[in-house]
Amino acid sequence: MLGKRFCLVWVVLAALGGIFGPVTAQGRSIITIDFQQELDTLNPLYTGMWFMTTAADMYLSPPWYIDDTLTPVPALVTEIPSAANGLISEDNRSITLKLRDDIVWSDGEPITADDFVFTYEMLVSPNNAPDTRYPYDEKIESVVAADERTVVVTYTEPFAPWLTNTFHDFPPIPAHILRPVFEAEGTIDNAAWNRAADVVSGPFKPVEWVAGSHIAFERNENYWGEPAKFDGVFMRFVPEDATVVASLVSGDTDVGTFIAYSDTPALEDAGVNIELVNSGYNEGWFLNFDPETANPAMLDVNVRKAIVLAFDRDKFNQDINLGKTYTPASFWEGTPYKDPDSAPLPYDPDMANQLLDEAGWVDSNGDGVRDKDGVELVLRHITNQRQIRKDLQVIAQQQLAEVGIKLEIENYDSNIFFGGYADDAPMAKGRFDIAELSDVGDFPDPNVSRFLCSQIPSEDNPSGYNDQHYCNEQVDALFTEQAQTVDFDKRVELFHEIDRLMNADIAWAGIWYDPDLWAINSRISNTRVSGADPLWNIAGWEVSG
Amino acid sequence: MTTAELSAPPSSLAHLHAARPMRSPTRIALGRFLRHRAAMVGMIILIGIILYVVVGSLIFSEAEANYNDTSLRLQPPSALHPFGTDRVGRDILARTIYGGQISLIIGFVSMLIEISLGTAAGAIAGYYGGLIDTVLMRFTEAMLSIPSLVLLLVMAKFFGGKIADIELFGRTFSGSVLVIILILGLTSWMELSRIVRSNVLVLKESDFVLAARAMGASDKRIILAHLLPNSMATIIVAATLGVATAILSEAYVSFLGLGVQAPTASWGNILTEAQEFQIIKDAPWYWLFPSLLILLTVLSINYVGDGLRDALDPRTDKRV
Amino acid sequence: MTGYVLRRLLQAIPLLIIVSVVIFVLLQSAGDPLAIMGGRVPPRPDDRERLRRQLGLDQPMLTQYLYWLIGNDWTLVDRDGDGTADTPGVRRGVLRGDFGQSIVTNQPAIDIVLSRIPNTLILSVSSQMVIIVAGLGLGLLSALRQYSRLDNALTTLTFIGFSMPIFLIAVGFMYIFAVKFREWGLPYFPTSGMFDPREGPTVAQVAWHLILPMMSIAIISVARYSRYIRSTMLETINSDYIRTARAKGLSERGILYHHAFKNAALPIVTLIGLDLPGLLAGAVVTESIFAWPGMGLLFLEHLSRLDYAVLMAILLMITVAVIVFQLLTDLTYTWLDPRIRYA
Repeated sequence: MLGKRFCLVWVVLAALGGIFGPVTAQGRSIITIDFQQELDTLNPLYTGMWFMTTAADMYLSPPWYIDDTLTPVPALVTEIPSAANGLISEDNRSITLKLRDDIVWSDGEPITADDFVFTYEMLVSPNNAPDTRYPYDEKIESVVAADERTVVVTYTEPFAPWLTNTFHDFPPIPAHILRPVFEAEGTIDNAAWNRAADVVSGPFKPVEWVAGSHIAFERNENYWGEPAKFDGVFMRFVPEDATVVASLVSGDTDVGTFIAYSDTPALEDAGVNIELVNSGYNEGWFLNFDPETANPAMLDVNVRKAIVLAFDRDKFNQDINLGKTYTPASFWEGTPYKDPDSAPLPYDPDMANQLLDEAGWVDSNGDGVRDKDGVELVLRHITNQRQIRKDLQVIAQQQLAEVGIKLEIENYDSNIFFGGYADDAPMAKGRFDIAELSDVGDFPDPNVSRFLCSQIPSEDNPSGYNDQHYCNEQVDALFTEQAQTVDFDKRVELFHEIDRLMNADIAWAGIWYDPDLWAINSRISNTRVSGADPLWNIAGWEVSG
Repeated sequence: MTTAELSAPPSSLAHLHAARPMRSPTRIALGRFLRHRAAMVGMIILIGIILYVVVGSLIFSEAEANYNDTSLRLQPPSALHPFGTDRVGRDILARTIYGGQISLIIGFVSMLIEISLGTAAGAIAGYYGGLIDTVLMRFTEAMLSIPSLVLLLVMAKFFGGKIADIELFGRTFSGSVLVIILILGLTSWMELSRIVRSNVLVLKESDFVLAARAMGASDKRIILAHLLPNSMATIIVAATLGVATAILSEAYVSFLGLGVQAPTASWGNILTEAQEFQIIKDAPWYWLFPSLLILLTVLSINYVGDGLRDALDPRTDKRV
Repeated sequence: MTGYVLRRLLQAIPLLIIVSVVIFVLLQSAGDPLAIMGGRVPPRPDDRERLRRQLGLDQPMLTQYLYWLIGNDWTLVDRDGDGTADTPGVRRGVLRGDFGQSIVTNQPAIDIVLSRIPNTLILSVSSQMVIIVAGLGLGLLSALRQYSRLDNALTTLTFIGFSMPIFLIAVGFMYIFAVKFREWGLPYFPTSGMFDPREGPTVAQVAWHLILPMMSIAIISVARYSRYIRSTMLETINSDYIRTARAKGLSERGILYHHAFKNAALPIVTLIGLDLPGLLAGAVVTESIFAWPGMGLLFLEHLSRLDYAVLMAILLMITVAVIVFQLLTDLTYTWLDPRIRYA
């Protein structure tokens, strides 16, 4: 009986909710953003999580933003360092940050060079456990406050990717709040500010964090820049993509991201704007070069070429990705570092057959699968659990079977797929011929270390990056050279050469160019979402209705 | 299947009545079962579903069930594809046929494991009590406390991609299908064991059990002939629910990299693939047909189970 | 009886230790919590090694369990990676109330877990009420009208819910009652969350947001109750002593309430006893779909990060609940049927 009465109470409450529910707070313009992952922390030092670094642009100002045209825009600094303005030293090792003199924290304290030095000290302090210290531990020699408005960052050697690092990755945190914590507790790992960042430098300020539910941001009235054009942001944590799509369609939420291309028609029908922004990511096949673990056929460049020729990537992108994207020609697709003369291999099963025949892989036992010296041409394709990747696996399996290659497909939970050598993870241990994932360098910087010979994982180097054991001395030398080449044009030249060599080796085959997808309610305008700093101009977003 | 089920020991009072007519209890029960209208309807549906997945596989080859054509993505039902096509342009009709074979095997076998373990643990714990009850029930509590999700994650890590394929009915399956049948069965018996135990706790104090014991009946006989038949109804409900749960859970388990792997279909993994807003909204055929088949399977087991129970229970003569 | 209760409570101690060891070993074997750290790309190898050391994940499994159980403030650990253990540990261990820190948020695991209990109970208790009331009602109706059209219709309806994955039901509801109703200008439900952040967590808001997830859970679970209740009611109604009561001329109503219901109560009590610990655990999929910030969602998110401190805290809490509620169930049996004795 209690149950019935209880139910009745709920029904009455629900009816009340019906009356008051859909009415929104009057007079305040608020944007709702749905993120699939809850932020781990508000302190950028403690996470490399994409959602967190994206959110940080709302409340912490970096020295510069990288805008929607991938051009740096000064924020805390007066101008972007360059050789021309003398802020990059002659030896290309020192970068000088000239701070604006009007920048302040939300409590009115000025933002000074000391905040930058403090942030650096916290990153490298052995008493703190930040997510990553790169490049501050291995590439940076010192960070010095020349005066209150001047920060000099000295690298151990010329460091080409300085623009996406040098406090762009870790915007300064407030020294006047956190230094006392560090002095008292010996670490800032557990500082209250990490979860309640009440002193900030960006256009918005987090005011409430309800775990598992949302973070409410309000306009920072003390913002040193142009104040935001609306009152606040509600960042809700909604783990399921389907729910995010439903919320966007119904209008419950204004902004969502990381949505499958296949869900875009529903959004477009509902009048939601879709923005595809270049984030440097490309979905691709990483081919295994390790003679110990790969099928021997993989060591033959013509077989690798045949594999790529036998899969119709354009049709996949047209039909499954609904034509929203295309086959990339380069690991650096969509950036100036891509070799301009490169083009993706076409879909050409006849040529694939011919190459395989010439390489001596023929079906000698009539089982429908090519073989050579008693070894069958059976290849393992591994990836994680993303549905689109599973879709691709069965399509590729069928197409490769047509040229006599048997594709065995496996997929793993991400914790296992991306596990390390010591964990006996399938990719790190080479239990694959083709591994599929989406990867990027220090976007928009092209630097990447997964193709270096020195990164090959082994018992002695269990944490190496180069799971595919790709090792080309020439490419290696070029990678080393580009990392120290600060001059943009020269660096571009070097990358074109790297790209040419890697394409010739067929070390990596692009499947689709993978821009980030942002879905934004049409009541919001002037959104200039960038692939590097998505919410960089959120203060300038305009809200109608 | 029916004869095996019917040779089960007759219910408690059956053997007391048995002296009256010349017909054996088994024949009586069979007669009752055949006259049970709901059971017969259930039986026909169940046979229909089995025919569907068996005869269907003679009409469509497994290669057809796995054949994809991306230009036919998410086509609504048509003459060529009566159940429509899926997210990579495969024929859903053919996939429900081949998926049905594997789903039915997984559903039934893990259900059998579940009810065998659950009934045995519950009956033994309840009847003997004392130390045996303590050990079995503490073990049950431990099993209830360890989430199968965690167990599956670990299994997926150890077995994923490492078990040889098996041949079954001329088809090749990942050997880890056996692993998930075992896991599904081994992690689902606790509920039934607790319910059977509660039945046994009451019944073992009842007059007829005390009488049987006084007449020198063995423990085994008391459990099999007197206690379990009175838990039949519960066991049948557990079996019905168990099949549906196993068929649906299989998809989740397989999602972790164990069990039925692409491109092999199962009713569960067809439903998992359909879990996208756009598909739920615009492609109802994708999830409707496999759901319907699972529903029909569950309903038919339910009615066959009801019929079995009624047939084995001599007290219920006024059956339809 | 007191002796029995004491014995059961004593048995709980080894049980808790065994379960915690098993779960700990399972979680440690499930993968590498540092493999992705929630990011899009795996962390740099140097950082992975450093964090492994700083978080104590480089220790042998047995040591890690020991630290988790009794803490490490009695020993020295190597935090800075110079090869010598020179920093005193700071953990006090579960036995002294320290469940460790989440590797995701750096907060004490126990605080994270406790903060989700109210949210999860709002959803799970209200759903359970609906399930029990509906299950009892439908099960009784079915039993009293066995094999009638009504019985068949109810059987089919409850099994429809049981035969569909919760995801389809939940997103289907969301599509109809949140998206379509809004489009059609009808009173509509919110898609997700516990309340509109603009309105705050008022009772009306929470109730309004509760309806869709609650109905989704109820629809998929009601069959479990209604079927068990139907079968035990039928069993009882047809039993000899009810027939005797009927033969004695007692009213149907009296028979139903006084005899049938009490005897059919045992399996129902068993089911409820099995479900109560689950109320704390929350509904993993439903909470995730409706973004309901409860225990199930917490478990799922921290499982995907293999954040073992939080997971252990949740699972240990559930184990305690299982032990307590199984004991209470067994005690309820003796109250319902005094003949039952535990030797």
